[in-house]
Amino acid sequence: MNATDTNGLVFDIQRFSLHDGPGIRTTIFLKGCPLNCAWCHNPEAKPYKQQLSFNENLCTSCMECVKVCNNTVHSFVNGKHNVNFDACELSGKCVEVCPSEALQIIGKEYSTNEIINIVLRDKKYFENSNGGLTISGGEPLAQFKFTKSLLMKAKDAGLHTAIETCGFAKEQQYLDILPYVDLFLYDIKAAEDKKHIEFTGASNKLILLNLDLLSNNGANIILRCPLIPGVNDSEEHLSFIAGLNKKYQNILKVEVMAFHNIGRDKSKNIGVEYKFNDKPNADENTKRMWIAKLEDYGCTNISIG
Amino acid sequence: MKKNFKTEIKFTRTYKEYINHHPAIREAHCLKAEFPDYFQPIQQNDLYAGRLKHGLVGFSPDEWGSTAFGYYILKPELQNILNDETTDEKTKKEIEEIISFWETENTSAKIRRSYPPEMAKYLPSDDWMNQSGIAFPLYRLTGGNINFKKLMQLGLPGLRKEILSKLATAKENNLDEKFYEGSLIALNVINDIIDYYIRDAETQKELADAENILRLNNIIDTLKLIKDSRPKTLREGIQLFWLYANAADVRNYGRMDVYLGDLLANDLDCRIITEVEALKMLQSLWQLMADKHTVVHNRVIIGGKGRANENNADRFAILAMEASRTVLEIEPQLSLRIYEGMNPDVFDKALEVIGEGRTFPIIYNDDVNLNSVVKAFGFTEKEAEQYVPYGCGEYILEHQSFGTPSGVINLLKALEVTLHNGIDPVTKKQMGLALGTFESFKTFDDLWNGYKKQIEHYVRIMADHEALEYNVAGEVAPYLLMSMLYDDCLEKGKGIFSGGIRYLGGTLETYGNTNTADSLLVIKKLIYVDKSVSKEELLKAIDNNFIGFEKLKKKIADVPKYGNDIDEADDMLLKVHNHVCNYVRDQKDRVGLHSYMIVNINNSANTLMGRSTSASADGRLAFTSMNNGNTPTSGNDKNGITSLLNSIVKPATDIHAGAVQNIKFSSQMFTEHKDELKALLKTYFENGGAQAMITVVNRGDLENAMNEPEKYKHVFVRVGGFSARFVELAKDIQLDILNRTLY
Ligand code: SF4
Ligand code: SF4
Repeated sequence: MNATDTNGLVFDIQRFSLHDGPGIRTTIFLKGCPLNCAWCHNPEAKPYKQQLSFNENLCTSCMECVKVCNNTVHSFVNGKHNVNFDACELSGKCVEVCPSEALQIIGKEYSTNEIINIVLRDKKYFENSNGGLTISGGEPLAQFKFTKSLLMKAKDAGLHTAIETCGFAKEQQYLDILPYVDLFLYDIKAAEDKKHIEFTGASNKLILLNLDLLSNNGANIILRCPLIPGVNDSEEHLSFIAGLNKKYQNILKVEVMAFHNIGRDKSKNIGVEYKFNDKPNADENTKRMWIAKLEDYGCTNISIG
Repeated sequence: MKKNFKTEIKFTRTYKEYINHHPAIREAHCLKAEFPDYFQPIQQNDLYAGRLKHGLVGFSPDEWGSTAFGYYILKPELQNILNDETTDEKTKKEIEEIISFWETENTSAKIRRSYPPEMAKYLPSDDWMNQSGIAFPLYRLTGGNINFKKLMQLGLPGLRKEILSKLATAKENNLDEKFYEGSLIALNVINDIIDYYIRDAETQKELADAENILRLNNIIDTLKLIKDSRPKTLREGIQLFWLYANAADVRNYGRMDVYLGDLLANDLDCRIITEVEALKMLQSLWQLMADKHTVVHNRVIIGGKGRANENNADRFAILAMEASRTVLEIEPQLSLRIYEGMNPDVFDKALEVIGEGRTFPIIYNDDVNLNSVVKAFGFTEKEAEQYVPYGCGEYILEHQSFGTPSGVINLLKALEVTLHNGIDPVTKKQMGLALGTFESFKTFDDLWNGYKKQIEHYVRIMADHEALEYNVAGEVAPYLLMSMLYDDCLEKGKGIFSGGIRYLGGTLETYGNTNTADSLLVIKKLIYVDKSVSKEELLKAIDNNFIGFEKLKKKIADVPKYGNDIDEADDMLLKVHNHVCNYVRDQKDRVGLHSYMIVNINNSANTLMGRSTSASADGRLAFTSMNNGNTPTSGNDKNGITSLLNSIVKPATDIHAGAVQNIKFSSQMFTEHKDELKALLKTYFENGGAQAMITVVNRGDLENAMNEPEKYKHVFVRVGGFSARFVELAKDIQLDILNRTLY
């Protein structure tokens, strides 16, 4: 098979990942996503390019960054550290001198060979736990060549593979990778197209088409459903999820991804606005209620992801 | 403050009386003088007799305070009493006499007096806990694991019979009669202790309520039974074991599931006791051990290959783990040997107890260790099955070998001194070999060779010291109660250290291994390869504890560190490891020991010695802890648990006598991800993991993480549907998680 080596932009590699598919896994997070979900948990994944991140909690106000930046990205006003993200040219100079790791450049170029070498270091752990490799993001198919090459290499090495996808990619791309993917973690965000466009910036038509396509072609699928209280946890949406579950034999499980405002800090770190600033996290009662309703509508295998 | 020195005086008088007698006779009479006096009354709730509190002078193979072992004196304590105004003149005089006699006659003093000049020069201090130094001697004969199984089989009468029969034929066999005569006297001391406790229990009964009378009657009956016959029930077995262990001052108890398993099974099967009663018995024993506060001893070994009656032993093992789960103390150090094909219930029980955050049992992997023990020590495979870890994690063969660590070496200090041309920057005095300035090491290999020379110089001295300590200890006494239950000693009529033991080995505790390796890589990369930092700058930074060198610190932080499954860093650790392991191991023939190896173990020495060690090139700040055992420096493992585990299995396990691994897990792992946890541990052990000490992170750890985030980067938590590093979360989210974990 011998997939060609390709470069891609990766923003995190998590070894011993337990939540992105079965067993012990290594999850590779890729940058770039075609959707723009208001609740996004990983806002740093959205842009297709590298970006500066600044964590105020870790900053000790030493001002080293101010001294080295040629673009005056960093400044202190009344003792407060301001960052003008737009002016940053990603030289990395400030990151180098920051003594407290408050600054980071998010996104690093890796080749698929480099990635697979890291992944294979844990092969035995995968084997003993029925785990493997998961490619997540962002949207893995946004870096299609890279993702496909990585999947092929993983299959060559005998690994179980999973990808987490938002469903928003060309049909042909799904067909192309299908032989190399053992499990799709497939996001479903809103039943109603209008709402889908409102929350994510895109229609859900293509997403549902691709789900149909994958199901008809024998893919193994886990539905991942981000639920945001008062936003997309309507009866209609819950019954829609259950309907998909019943319709497609290949859907093994429904995973509820309860809203958490972790995206708030991450957005702040990279200087982008976060729409759900004041949204409370989903509490245990709400989660229980969701599960009960999904069960009422006919879902059989539900878990909290 | 202690007011009564009758026993100390009696002990001293007895020693003087027998000073020129055969060492066995002298020791036996000294035991008789100190026991049963140094035993304390039975306490409320004790199901067994046996609380030992040593006096200010006495006899013991193991240490009682720094440098106090053998014929020992606790001089600082005596000095305090002397200086106390309320002490009367008569007592003062007695104490002065005691001090002036024992000052030169105690065993440690004799050892130090026999140091050759070179040894005395390079080991100037015995105070390793407080003073700065590369290497220090330790004075003790620690880690003896006697043959409790034989004790259970013979009982006191059977053991006496065996000694008597040896004595009867000693002359014709050309064996030392005095050794056996002494042994008989020593054995009678156990009877004295039993009699004392019977009297104690009888007296306590007078004021006791019905329930306690029952308890005390049980103790009395048991004591009477073990005096006259071998133990036939679990209760008798435990009582005999405990009294004997205390009298012999043996603090590590070997394969308890082997020597108590049959008694337990018989009691349960014949309905002599119930499971609940059996558990209570172990709980009481566990509490007695905990109350000894040995910190580093009280090892109980369960599980493993080479147990005659595995079923019974496993029943005991499970009960022992339940005792550790329910007695919320930090001792005994329950240690489970595991192997492929073992009873899965035993392993599941272990995970249950560990998962509750008990940190026990400590796990030892036979599938790796048996082979390592064969190769490292040169034992046969059959012999290796009887390995036991003791103390902080050193291996020996139960009742066949000894391996007392008689010294510590601080590798990081050796590097520090080498970088300063033999001067210790902490004391500013000449300490080690002057091998040239840092500037004069033109290549990394030059520096490496200098470091090696420094280490090797001290290792030779420490090996000589180990042999010397055994020699002096063997001349002074036969350690009768230990020797009579050590293989070959009764046969040869000799004490363990007087030529009796089958395999006499030694060990050297190394500290700072990881910091040393990480420092060497930093130096190699920044100075010799990248040439981005000058030697002068690095030295200055170290000498100034990095104050004003923040940029350099950051550069240092970016150099890979051991524990992240990054070959470059792990390879440096291997270089350091292989060098010290092999060089130490090569000393055995020269000094006449069966083995001499390093141990890379866990206690507080990494912190205590760290307090006298300057900042190091790996970014470690001055006078802070060094790394612990074979684990990375706290907070330096940043690539997740699999990469940590992949790193720590790399150092060879068959060239040393024991190394330990601390691994921390979140409690979630044990509740929500049990299958993955099992798979993780299984893989670790299959990959060559020899040992695991598992901490389950609790609320306290998370709180610490909020205060010292730099040390807790490895803590991953689950936030909603996503994972995050705990320390990177905002304060309020951290609090949220903290609270969630609690409930
Ligand atoms: S990365 Fe470069 S341009 Fe961007 S803020 Fe830092 S120093 Fe300035
Ligand atoms: S260098 Fe880092 S710690 Fe210093 S002011 Fe900049 S962001 Fe804060």
